Amino acid sequence: MTRTRVVRWPLTLALLVLLMTGCTALGAVLSGSAWWLVLLIVAGVVLVGAAGLRHAGVHSALVPLLSTGGLVVLLTLFFGGGTGLLWLIPTGDTFERFTDLATAGVRSIQTQGTPAQVLDGIMFLLAVGVGLLSILMDLLAIGLARPALAGIPALVPVAVPGFVVSAGADWVALVATAAAYLLLLRIDVHLRGMQVNRQAGGRGAGITGVAGAVRGAITIGAFGIVGSLVFSLSAPVISGGSFGSQPNSALFGAGVSQMIELGQDLRRPQAGPALHYRTTATEQPYLALLTLDDIKGTSWLPRPVEVDEDRTVDSIANPPGLAQRVARTEVTTVVTIDGVNVERLPVPVPAKRVDNLTGDWFWSEGTRAITSTDSTTTGQRYVVTSLELQPTREQLRESGGRYPVAVEPSLFLPMGTPAVVGETARTVSQGTESNYDAAVAIQDYLRGNDFTYDTEAPVDDDYDGGGADVIATFLDVKRGYCVHFASAMALMSRSLGIPARIVLGYLPGTRTTTVIDGQNRYDVDSHDLHAWPELYFVGVGWVPFEPTPGRGTVPEYASPESTIVNGVPSTGGAPSVVPRQNENPGLEGGTADTLAAAEDELPGTLARVGLVAAAVLLLLLAPGVWRLLRRQRRRRLLAAGRAGAVLGWRELTDTAVDHGVEVYDTLTARELADSIRDRPGVGDTPRAREALERMLVATEQARYARPDGPAQTRGAGFLDDLDVVVQALRQGSGAAQRARALIFPASLTSTALRRMGLAAGTPE
Amino acid sequence: MSAFPGRWVSESAVAGTTTVDVASRSAVDMDGETDVALADVQGAALAIMRNVESVIDGKHSAVQIALTVLLAEGHLLIEDVPGVGKTMLAKALAKSVDCSVSRIQFTPDLLPSDVTGVSIYNQAERRFEFKPGAIFANIVIGDEINRASPKTQSALLECMEERQVTVDGHSYPLARPFAVVATQNPIEMEGTYALPEAQRDRFMARISMGYPDPASELSMLDSRDLTSPLSRIDAVVTGAQLRGMMSAARSVFASGAVKEYAVAVVRATRDDRDLRLGASPRATLQLIRAAKAQAALHGREYVLPDDIDSLAVAVLGHRLVPTTRALGHRSQDSAVLIEETVRRILAATPVPTGSQGRL
Repeated sequence: MTRTRVVRWPLTLALLVLLMTGCTALGAVLSGSAWWLVLLIVAGVVLVGAAGLRHAGVHSALVPLLSTGGLVVLLTLFFGGGTGLLWLIPTGDTFERFTDLATAGVRSIQTQGTPAQVLDGIMFLLAVGVGLLSILMDLLAIGLARPALAGIPALVPVAVPGFVVSAGADWVALVATAAAYLLLLRIDVHLRGMQVNRQAGGRGAGITGVAGAVRGAITIGAFGIVGSLVFSLSAPVISGGSFGSQPNSALFGAGVSQMIELGQDLRRPQAGPALHYRTTATEQPYLALLTLDDIKGTSWLPRPVEVDEDRTVDSIANPPGLAQRVARTEVTTVVTIDGVNVERLPVPVPAKRVDNLTGDWFWSEGTRAITSTDSTTTGQRYVVTSLELQPTREQLRESGGRYPVAVEPSLFLPMGTPAVVGETARTVSQGTESNYDAAVAIQDYLRGNDFTYDTEAPVDDDYDGGGADVIATFLDVKRGYCVHFASAMALMSRSLGIPARIVLGYLPGTRTTTVIDGQNRYDVDSHDLHAWPELYFVGVGWVPFEPTPGRGTVPEYASPESTIVNGVPSTGGAPSVVPRQNENPGLEGGTADTLAAAEDELPGTLARVGLVAAAVLLLLLAPGVWRLLRRQRRRRLLAAGRAGAVLGWRELTDTAVDHGVEVYDTLTARELADSIRDRPGVGDTPRAREALERMLVATEQARYARPDGPAQTRGAGFLDDLDVVVQALRQGSGAAQRARALIFPASLTSTALRRMGLAAGTPE
Repeated sequence: MSAFPGRWVSESAVAGTTTVDVASRSAVDMDGETDVALADVQGAALAIMRNVESVIDGKHSAVQIALTVLLAEGHLLIEDVPGVGKTMLAKALAKSVDCSVSRIQFTPDLLPSDVTGVSIYNQAERRFEFKPGAIFANIVIGDEINRASPKTQSALLECMEERQVTVDGHSYPLARPFAVVATQNPIEMEGTYALPEAQRDRFMARISMGYPDPASELSMLDSRDLTSPLSRIDAVVTGAQLRGMMSAARSVFASGAVKEYAVAVVRATRDDRDLRLGASPRATLQLIRAAKAQAALHGREYVLPDDIDSLAVAVLGHRLVPTTRALGHRSQDSAVLIEETVRRILAATPVPTGSQGRL
C-alpha cells in the first residue's frame, strides 16, 4: 500500500534504453551520430542522477526539481562555453548564450533540409528536449509509479521524423522502441511481482511468457506506427528548410540533383526565411547562388569550383564578354542572411565586390560563384556592389560573331536529346531573324497560356528534374515549375545554337513596409528559390531570361515591345512580382511596423512549438479523459439499470486503483474491500462502510451465488452506494493523490497490462 | 462425572486400557433428521460456538474450523503440545451436541479390536456375537492418536474412511453423524508413532491450538480452579438437528469459479518447489466440502473464494510434505514452513470472478 522507498535501478536503466532507442529514430533527419552520444550522456546523467537522489532518500516530490537543476548545470558545462562559474554554475551570460543557441537552433531547424547537420544550436535544443523528456519519464515511471505512461514521452523523438519527412518514422527504430517499451513493462512487472511476494512472504508470482509479450509488442508497435503516420499527415512540417548543407559538398547534398532538391523546397507547405536585403537598384535583383551549365544524364551540374586564392571578393572582374557600350549602373545591396546555411553567397549578378563578410571568400572565373573555404553564410550581413545592366534590344539583336572558347561548352546538347526539343524550338522561333528574337519567342512560348506552373505534377507523374528526357515529357505535359521552364529554354536555345546555362538562386522576394535609408526592405524565403536561364550574346555577355509563367520579372530587354507601358513590363497579365501563396496578410496591409516585420518569423516558430507542445499535452491528458469517459459510460449503464453489481464493483476497483490502492488478480473481492476500508475516509465513515459492504455482498452474489437464485438488484441503488464510497475514497486521499487519480489514472494501465497478460499474478 | 451418566468416560482412563462408555450404542440407530433451513444453521452453529467458547478462551478460529469440519462430516486432527486444551476442545464440541460420544485413549498396547469391536462366542446361544468397539459412537475422541501402534492407527483410520466396521466377514455400519476428533502431540515429541501421509489424508483438517494469550490464560485460572468447566455446559443441538445442519451445509452452492479456484490452489501445491508431496484430489474434494460448511456457518448460500482462502491452511496443511532442502534452508518448523507455503500459494493464485461476473 504505502510506497516504500525502493530504488528501482533496473527501471531507470530501462527508461534510459527506451528513450535512447526512441532517439535513434532522429537519425532519419539528422546527419552523423555524435549527437546521439551527447544525448545519451544527458539522459543518462539525468536519469541516474534522479535514481541516485531517491537512493539518498530525497523526497520524491523534490526529485524532478533537483533533476531540472542538474540538467541546467549539465547544459552549462556542455554549452555554456565557459560562461558558468567553474564552468558549472550558470550565470547571466550563460542564459544569454542559451537564448542565442536556442534562436540559432530554431533557425537552423527551419532552414536546413534533411538530413540536417547537427550544429551547436540544434544540439542544444536536442539536449534540452531529451533532458526534459528524461525528467518527465523519471517522474512518470518512478515518481508516480506509472511506467506504462513513460512510453508517451518516449514517442516524442520517434514522432519527430513524422513531422519533418513525409515518409514517417523509421520502421526499425519504431520496432526497437516498442521492444524497449516492452522491456520496461516487463521489468516493472517483475519488480511489482517481487513486491507482492515480499508482502506474501514468499517467492514467485507466475508471470506470463512469450505470447503476452508478442501481443504487447504488436499493440505498441501499431500504436507507434499509427501515431507517426498521423503526425506525418496532419502536422505542419517543422523544417521550412532551404538547402541541404553537408559540410564538404559543393553546395547541396552530394549525389542529389540540386534541381530536384529545389523542387522539394518549393513544395514545402511552409516557407522558412532565407534572407532579407535592401538595394539601390531600380529593379529588384535576382540573387544568384550557382550556375549550372553541364548536363550529365538527367541532371544539370555546376562546373567544378576551383578556388583561386588571388580572386578575393574585394575586386571581382567584369563578366566575360561584356562590351563597354552596354549601359550599366553600379548599385549596392545590403544582404542579411536569416536562415540559409551554405558555402556560397547569394548575390545580385554581376557582382563587382562584396564587403563586410566574415571568413575568406573567393570568386571563380567560370561560374562566377562566390564560395568560402572556411565559413558559411550563417549570420552574415554583407554589402554587394554589383552592376545593373541595361542592354537594349538593338544591342542584343545585333550581337553576332564567334563565341569565345570558354562559352562553347554551353552549346553542348547531351547525346540522345529527344528530337521534340529541337523541333519545338524551331517551330516556335520560325520567322525570327536573330538569336535574340528566337530567345524571346521561346520565352514567350513558355510563358504562354499553354503552360501551367505546378510544383506537384512533375513529381506525381515522375518527370522531375531538368534532363533532356524530362524536358521532352515536360513539353508534352506542359506542367512544371521553374526548373523545367529554365531547363527547357536552355535546351531549346542550345538546339538553336545559342549558348545557354541555368542559374539557381532567389527571386527578388517580397517588399515590406520597413524602410531603411530610403530603401524598402525585401524579405526572401525558401519559396523564393528559383531557377532561370542565361543566354550568351556576343558583345553583351550572359543575359538572363524569365520563361517561368507567374514567377519573377521579365527583364525589360526580353519583354514584348508592344506591351511596355511606362517601363512596367507586363506579360499576359502576370504581375511582376507574384505574391507568395502563404504571404502574411498583416504585412501586406501596410500597417505592420518595423518591429513586427523583424519578428515576423517568431510567431510562426512559436506556433509550431506550441503545436508540438499541445500535441504532447493532449497525449498526456488522454489517459485522464479516457478514464473519465469510461466512468461516465459505466455510470450511465448503472443508472439505466442495464448493468449490475459487478460493473459497479469494477468501477469501484478502478477508482481504488486510481487512488493508490494496490489491486492484484490474486485478491478476492472481500480482501479488496478490506483494503478499501483501510483507507482513511472510508473506514471512519459509517455510511461509506455500509455502502461498501452492500456493494461487496451484491458483487459476491453476482459472481458466486447460484445463477438461478434470487434475482440480484440492479441499477441505481448500486450507483448511490458507488458514489458514497468513491466520495469517501476521494476525501481520504491527499490533494496530490487526487490529482494523480484524475490525470494519470493507474487503473487504465493496470487493466491494459492485465489484458496483455503482463500484470503480476497472472496464471501461466 | 456422574453429571453425565452413561455418556461420558472417566477422565481417569488408564494407559493401555480402553475406557469406552457403551451406554449409547443406540446411537447407531439414530437416523432421524430434522429439516434445518440454511438460515437456522447459522443460529445453531453460533449457539454451539458460544457453548464451546465458554470453555475454551481466545481460540475463536480453531473453534470455528472445528465446527466447520463437524458440519462438513469430516474428521478433525488437533495437533499441539500437551496441555493447551486439545482434548478440552474435542470434549466441549462433543458435549454441545446431544449425541453419543466415546473417547479412546491411545497407548502403544491398544489393540485394533479395542477400537473396532470383537466377535465373542456366546455359549448360551451357541453362536458368535459382535461386541462393538469404541468406534461405535457419533463423536469419537481419539486422544494422542500418535501414541498407538501403527496397526491400531490404521484400524481406526479405515473405519473413518469407510464409515463401517467389518469383523469376521460381517459389516457393521457406523452412526451418522460420525466424526472422529483426534488429538496428537507434535511428532518431534518422544514415544510417538507419526501418522503416515496416507492416514493423515483421511482427516479433513488439522488445527493447532497454540498457547492462549495472557488474558485468556488468566481467566482460565479462575474458571477452572474449582470445577471442570465442562460441567457447566450442556448440549445445545440434538443429533437430528446436527444431521439436518449437515444436509443444509451440503446443499450450499459452489460455483464453477470457486471450484476452479480450489483446483488451482491444490494443483499449485503439487508443483511447488518447496513441497515434496502436494495435496491429493481428495484434498480438493474436502476443501470444497469444508468451504460449503463454512458458508453455511455464516448463513451464506454460496461459497466464496474467501472460504477457500481461510480453510486452505487447515485443510491442506497436514497433507503436504516439505522438501528437506526447504526445511534445511529455512531451518524452521515444518508446520510453520507449510503454513507459509500455503499462504504464498494463495497470494499468488488469481481469483476467478466467474463468467457471470462480466457485467
